[in-house]
Amino acid sequence: MSIPGPASPFVLSVRGVSKAYGAVQALRDVSVDCHAGEIHALVGENGSGKSTLLGIASGFVQPDEGTVEIGGNLRRRGSPAEARRLGLGMAYQTYSHVLDLSVAQNLYLAAPRNERPTYGSMEGWASAKLEEFELDVPVTVPAGSLSLAQRQLLEVVKALLARPKVLLLDEPTTALGPEEVERLHALVFEQSRAGVGVVYVSHRLPEVLGIADRITVLRDGVGQGTFAASAMTEESIVALMIGRPLQLAFPERQGGAADREVLLVASGLQGDRFGPIDLEVAKGEIVGVAGAEGNGQVQFLRGLAGVERTSGSTVCDGQSLDSRSPLGSLRAGVVLLSGDRTGESLFPVLSVRANTTIQVLGKLGPFGFIDRRRERRTITDLARRLSIRMASIEQPVLSLSGGNQQKVALTRPFLRGDVKVILAEEPTQGVDVAARFDIYEALRAKAAEGVAVIVKSSDPLELAGLCDRVIVMSRGKIVDEIPREELGERRIVEAIVGSGARAAATADGEGEAVEQ
Amino acid sequence: MRMRGWMPFVLLGTLIVALGAYTALREDAFLTSYNLRNLLLLTMPLALVSLGQTSALLVGGFDVSVGALMTLCVVVASYTMTPTTSTLGLIPGAFLLVGIGLVVGIGNAILIRVFRLPSIIATLATFSILEGAALLLRDHPEGSINTDVTDRLTSSVSFVPLAFIGVVVLAVLADIWLYRTRTGLAFRAVGLDETASRRIGMGTGRTVILAFVVCSVMASIAGFYLAAEVQIGSPIIGNQALESIAAAVLGGASLAGGRGSFVGALLAALFLSLIDNVLPLFQAPTEYAEMTIGILILVALVLYEAPALLARLRTSMGGVGRLRRGSAQG
Repeated sequence: MSIPGPASPFVLSVRGVSKAYGAVQALRDVSVDCHAGEIHALVGENGSGKSTLLGIASGFVQPDEGTVEIGGNLRRRGSPAEARRLGLGMAYQTYSHVLDLSVAQNLYLAAPRNERPTYGSMEGWASAKLEEFELDVPVTVPAGSLSLAQRQLLEVVKALLARPKVLLLDEPTTALGPEEVERLHALVFEQSRAGVGVVYVSHRLPEVLGIADRITVLRDGVGQGTFAASAMTEESIVALMIGRPLQLAFPERQGGAADREVLLVASGLQGDRFGPIDLEVAKGEIVGVAGAEGNGQVQFLRGLAGVERTSGSTVCDGQSLDSRSPLGSLRAGVVLLSGDRTGESLFPVLSVRANTTIQVLGKLGPFGFIDRRRERRTITDLARRLSIRMASIEQPVLSLSGGNQQKVALTRPFLRGDVKVILAEEPTQGVDVAARFDIYEALRAKAAEGVAVIVKSSDPLELAGLCDRVIVMSRGKIVDEIPREELGERRIVEAIVGSGARAAATADGEGEAVEQ
Repeated sequence: MRMRGWMPFVLLGTLIVALGAYTALREDAFLTSYNLRNLLLLTMPLALVSLGQTSALLVGGFDVSVGALMTLCVVVASYTMTPTTSTLGLIPGAFLLVGIGLVVGIGNAILIRVFRLPSIIATLATFSILEGAALLLRDHPEGSINTDVTDRLTSSVSFVPLAFIGVVVLAVLADIWLYRTRTGLAFRAVGLDETASRRIGMGTGRTVILAFVVCSVMASIAGFYLAAEVQIGSPIIGNQALESIAAAVLGGASLAGGRGSFVGALLAALFLSLIDNVLPLFQAPTEYAEMTIGILILVALVLYEAPALLARLRTSMGGVGRLRRGSAQG
């Protein structure tokens, strides 16, 4: 494939876009362009603004500032329909299928007017289309019955139906095996030879280096520059992706974890999007779970908590966990701090008081009556210990900052005397720096009491600082395990972006066995 | 999917025939053309408003304001279609009623799409406003409605009112549109998954607005037939909101959106009216009818969901089995 010269026109040109969500600046003055026939990769850590940038390009997100040109036409009011009309095809990471409708119907709805057959000949047409793209999927079944890999490939086919000038692929390989990745890449090359500009977003650097002409790196919503792929290596890209200016403080780790008693044992645990996974966690140990978003980390954690259906076994302190309901896990002392704080962890409109003591009301007074004075004392003590900043304990949790909300959720494992395992999903997401340290300290304090802690985080720096050991997941399996001596942000990011190729090569024998 | 599609037709068809046959055997008065014509005429308001309600349910919404809208239409008709109104003067009166439906529909749609209110809350508010407006115009039943209009509306071929034939044709055409055209498919897709629909470039806002406008306009047309039935400006007549939702659901509509059938809703409306019609013949108290309808809705819901539930159970069991076997090998 030839690298297009400056003569070939821009098919996509995003200039100076900024976007803030509340107090979080997701993008700051970012510009990216894509020539006809070019494959332009966009890389960055989780939360670096890639998805927001794609959302803006595809018309789903309105930028606060900046312009988008598609095929040389300035986009006026952002809507996905308009972007499609101008020649933009987008394959969403979370897909755009209506799961209750058949594959043929989904294709039919995605087809532009001039490509559309009559309603009655839809199925024959859909079969022909799928054959054209060498996708072997029955067209009459509901899209919801397809495997995740099939859905992902179907998503790309749908984006190509309108014969776009520019094709946006958001993490198009998360559910694909090596062979399918090759097929997808062959398709992408074919499109680029035909003059389609491709914007390819992926965490997987070997893939990116193998396919891209140019690479743009994002970090914390700021563009770090656009480079010719031939001039880049995995190391040089990683160096651009990491290196946060802000240094975080972490609490001291306690003595070695090697001689500690094993508390939680998961063997052959599997469920939707993950497994089989074998993992042992000792008392007092903090284990980190890393990986690119959407590789089963969240599902694994929720599977351990009994919130997701699983098979295989989980044993906590000698007691087998009932995987069918969260209540079983909770009774056995396994507590999940959900990443969806206001949706799952907390009752946002209720007060700090109600949220804190809701699981232990029975202990706060005789005969089911609540001793308010005792309740208040308990809460104020804990609030001081966790440094929860609030006007009063009657303040609704909704009105607290993200960090203080998380601290309120964290009070529960402190109040329940029987907690053995804490599963924390993104414990510091949307939490300011000062409050982060308090949360790390709280988790460390529980670990010191002998609680096992598993932290799923998309922030490698956090995992490196907080954890005793980090496991790295890719496509639902553990592909690397990083011991305490090797822990560092760079080591974790390398494991994430190299998942598959690199990790298999560098991991020890045990790591490979796990992957098979 | 296909099972679910046919289930309401089979269930309702069986019920209508069974109840009809049973009544015919017990009561000679039932199978007279006078009674059948009456039955079909009484079905008209509910049938029309149920078709409208189905359109709202298809995009995942509710419209509980339809009953009050019908009442308002009846009350307004008692002013604009009085016995002294000239035949020519009836035409603007008719347009006014449909215009009220149009305005209310657009108002509901704006509340739902622009102000992002849940449809049940938005239309509950509209319901109160419309009910108040109707009471403002007539605080008690008063004002006769032009018999020219009512005769025209109820003109029949043998025992079948022309309007009923019209509504059957309308329902069949609407179902063909829904299940055999691209726009119908797009309509259902918006109800099933709005985000996905928006991503593939469909005008989801337009679809939802259209659905609620259609719902209100159908309710205003139903208002005509209600006016023909009561023939007086009564402010306390329209209570079809819940009944129309019941009919739409019995007809196969899913409260989650994206599923439903206009013909099914029509059959359900006919069945519900049939129950009302046969009860006096048996001298059975209406309480039983109310309870029967409630139980029927529950039975129907379970029956309609049964294939999906079974399928889900089968795949999830199969999935876990597969996982178990997989882990045994690994």
